[in-house]
Amino acid sequence: MNTVLEVKNLRKSFEDEQVLHDITFKVDEGEFIAIMGQSGSGKSTLLYSISGMDSPTSGNVLLCGKDISRLDDKDMSEIRLKQMGFVFQHSYLLKNLSIRDNIVLPGFKAGTLSREEINQNADELMKKTGIYAVGSHDIKQVSGGELQRTAICRALINHPDILFGDEPTGSLNSSTTKEVMDIINSVNREGTTVIIVTHDAKVATRASRVIYLMDGNIHAELALGSYEDDEQSKAWREKIVSEWLQKQGF
Amino acid sequence: MKWSIIKNDFIRNKTIHLALFLFMMFSTCLAVLSVITAVQTFTSISTLYEIAQPPHFLQMHKGEIDQEEIRSFMKKNPLVTYSQIATMIDIYGENLTVIGPNAHYDLSDCRLDIGLVKQNATKDLLLDSSHQKVTLGQGEIGIPVLLKEMYGIAIGEHIILTDNSVRKEFVVKEIILDSMMNSPMVSSTRILLSDKDFDELVGIVGEIEYLVEAYFSNTKQANDFKTAYEDASLAQNGQAITYAMIFTLSALTDIVMVLVLLLVSILLIIVSFICVKFSIMAALEEEVREIGTMKAIGLSFTDIRALYLTKYRVLALVGVGVGYVVALLCSNVITKHISSTFGYIQTSALTGVLSLAVSVLVFLLITYYCKKILKKIRKLTVVDALVSGKGFDKDTKSIKDGLHTAKKLSVNSLMATREVLHAYKNWIVVFSVVLIAVMMIMVPVNLLYTFEAPEFITYMGSSLEDILIEVENGEQLEPNYTKVKQILENDSSIKNYYEYRTTRVKTTNSKHVPMNLDIDSGDMAGNGLQYLSGKAPEGQHELALSFLNADELEKGVGDTVELMFHATKQEFVISGIYQDVTSGGLTAKSKRQFPFLAAKKYSFSVNLKDSAVIVGKAVEWAAIFGAGVTVDPMEAFINQTLGGVTKQLRTMVFAIALLGASLAMLITVLFMKLRLAKDLSEITILKAIGFSKRDIHMQYMIKIGLVSLSGILAGVVLTNFLGEKIVNAALGIAGLGIKQVHLITNLAMEYLICPIVLMALVLLVTALVVRTIENYTIVSIIKE
Repeated sequence: MNTVLEVKNLRKSFEDEQVLHDITFKVDEGEFIAIMGQSGSGKSTLLYSISGMDSPTSGNVLLCGKDISRLDDKDMSEIRLKQMGFVFQHSYLLKNLSIRDNIVLPGFKAGTLSREEINQNADELMKKTGIYAVGSHDIKQVSGGELQRTAICRALINHPDILFGDEPTGSLNSSTTKEVMDIINSVNREGTTVIIVTHDAKVATRASRVIYLMDGNIHAELALGSYEDDEQSKAWREKIVSEWLQKQGF
Repeated sequence: MKWSIIKNDFIRNKTIHLALFLFMMFSTCLAVLSVITAVQTFTSISTLYEIAQPPHFLQMHKGEIDQEEIRSFMKKNPLVTYSQIATMIDIYGENLTVIGPNAHYDLSDCRLDIGLVKQNATKDLLLDSSHQKVTLGQGEIGIPVLLKEMYGIAIGEHIILTDNSVRKEFVVKEIILDSMMNSPMVSSTRILLSDKDFDELVGIVGEIEYLVEAYFSNTKQANDFKTAYEDASLAQNGQAITYAMIFTLSALTDIVMVLVLLLVSILLIIVSFICVKFSIMAALEEEVREIGTMKAIGLSFTDIRALYLTKYRVLALVGVGVGYVVALLCSNVITKHISSTFGYIQTSALTGVLSLAVSVLVFLLITYYCKKILKKIRKLTVVDALVSGKGFDKDTKSIKDGLHTAKKLSVNSLMATREVLHAYKNWIVVFSVVLIAVMMIMVPVNLLYTFEAPEFITYMGSSLEDILIEVENGEQLEPNYTKVKQILENDSSIKNYYEYRTTRVKTTNSKHVPMNLDIDSGDMAGNGLQYLSGKAPEGQHELALSFLNADELEKGVGDTVELMFHATKQEFVISGIYQDVTSGGLTAKSKRQFPFLAAKKYSFSVNLKDSAVIVGKAVEWAAIFGAGVTVDPMEAFINQTLGGVTKQLRTMVFAIALLGASLAMLITVLFMKLRLAKDLSEITILKAIGFSKRDIHMQYMIKIGLVSLSGILAGVVLTNFLGEKIVNAALGIAGLGIKQVHLITNLAMEYLICPIVLMALVLLVTALVVRTIENYTIVSIIKE
């Protein structure tokens, strides 16, 4: 397996407080990583530091072998645009654009495909995520679940190497959470590497590996293997994750 | 509690409150300044006129005069309430030498007719700057403001008069205000001497000219009197002028200034209100969660509005108060010229009351406007404010679907263009400010350009030629005419020349009272003038009238006028009406010659083959023709007559252009700061999905570029369509003899310099403000 992301001795401090201590781990192509931990453990900080949204205080982040921890704004923007996708807890869509326009925007900006091809890709993504019918809608006219699916489509429009999610289901109800996670699993199955931060143990069961952070350190890791959509497997994963989290004091 | 909330709020939202404060201050300051300037101008002028009492009718006459005959005529005429004959000694500029600590020069380049006079007894007085009648001692001299401004002559300097082997030295004791001759457009100016000095010099130096002055109970009776005076064949070889024209010529410059200032302040008040609305909306949107929380804990709409209203009332009170004080402090600078031309006027109670009333009015307007905007709080629900995040926007439609259909435009251009096109309301502030800045700059610039353009003289009753020659009425009229004609005929440097013969023809005015029409006849009579309506006369039975004559006759284009000559009556059709400041504004033009009537004046308009020799030729001819013939190169004539107006207007236009550009920059800075604060989340999203800071910079630059470009275009269109109408409406209101001006557009300035400079400045400040997004980090905003 190729390594998509390699994090080496990553540290992050805010003023005098060190939030992350010498974090080191690797993520292989096609993996689905869930980062968990108590509030204040540094999981979101870790996600933002490895996704180029924030710069680490020290250490290195290698994306497909290229160190992205010290890139300037232009190069980092290029990477965020073409190699990464990001889904936030709130959808953070541009309110002046329709659902479809929000999705095609990064595609148009990247310019790697023709606009016609980007529109076709957007159609496919919208069909797959069940929002095709609301494509021309204003973002004020659709539900929270539809907004989050739009955000996923937008994150995937440029076929990123890696999809990051910061509590992507944090503001959704349980049925919508399931729908959104099914989409993320399906994307992952198709080869996109996924790293998400979550509080939700059920969401974590969807991952192939769970990293547990405590006080800015990787406290434990749990390998779960690929997610299978059958009841028996799901029950087993839920039991394993639950027991493991209990053990970590979650 | 309420006050502590307000205080904290002021500290928290410094930018918005500072912007609001500045807008309120500017509005008040300009409104008060306009009022002060208008009141000061009109009070100064009316005080000067009230005390100095310029004549309602003035006839100038050079040479011998039968004073008894005139006095007897005046006594018998029922219209006349008072009359006087003043004596003036006409001298040339070269007869006067100024000697001061750093000065030694003569006034030979002065194109004004200079007259030495003594003070009159009760009317047509020459006053000092405090509107007091000036009384001079022997050896003292009073210099008119006009010469002081032209040459910088100061009190204490010495003036030496030399003529006919007389040499007399005077000390400048006073700078005098002359209600009748205080504008270069009048072409004459009076220097005051003590009675003793004057009596000593009269008949020894210069040439004597008489000022026959009459007063009536109503100034409008001047035209009727003029006809009676002319018919009585009394002394009249000089120009006759009535009160209306005296006022027009004297007050034109300052009234134009007041009008420009009023126009600018009205435009600025409009800008201020747009900005106040924008700033309040921006503040409300920023505080939408606080408003939602207040509603959620049970505060009523009235309670919440009262809280905001108190805040804005405090802000308006401070802004209006400071604006009022600043206006009072600045008013001296603005009214300086008015004080020096028309005399110093203690700020009257009326000025105080009016400026205070205007400030209160601005305050009330602002608070009323705030109250109106704050109504939006009523419609805001707790859910909109706290849950859905829709805020005040819930009713407004977002941009239409369609970005995905764009084929070629780059994404940055696409995003910027779409926002400007579909959410133009967000950018209306910059659009309006740029539009108004363009108008604010271009209307006065075009007005100045018009005044400076040689063609402007064609609006004032004179056609545009290289040299004007006038053979003045008098005993030497016919010999002088023959002499001039002969020389012109034989001068090979002349390309062409046209001659006009002025004759006095009888007609009756609208009240069937006989009146005289001085008609300039000639093959080209009336050609080359700008007409208010109609056109130049063509046939033998057509006549063009000056605006004042048409007004007196109450006739329009197409009407007929009955002229009486050769013992017959003939009807002439009015072909056109033009405005005129020459010959007292009472002129007429016709192709028809009246050979059996005696000529009152001859004039020649001459064009030379080589325009480089105009001035030399004029000097040469003036020397050959001698007394009784005036030779004026047109350019010098224009500079002399309109120089004062253009000089002051130029200073004002420069100040207005600076103000307009500064205002456009200031408002763009404040707007962009508020805009960026409002767009924080959008900027973050764009950064998160891969747009670089440069992309975001670019988008704002395109947005501002497009908005300011459309503002400039709209400004240019409005300047072209409305500028002239505004100027003419303002001139009409001012009651000046100038009824209509066709603005000449300064093409380079309007289509190139002004747009480019304004846009460059707006883009420059935008770039500086947009730079601050460097400090935004995605994480800090997402975490909020």
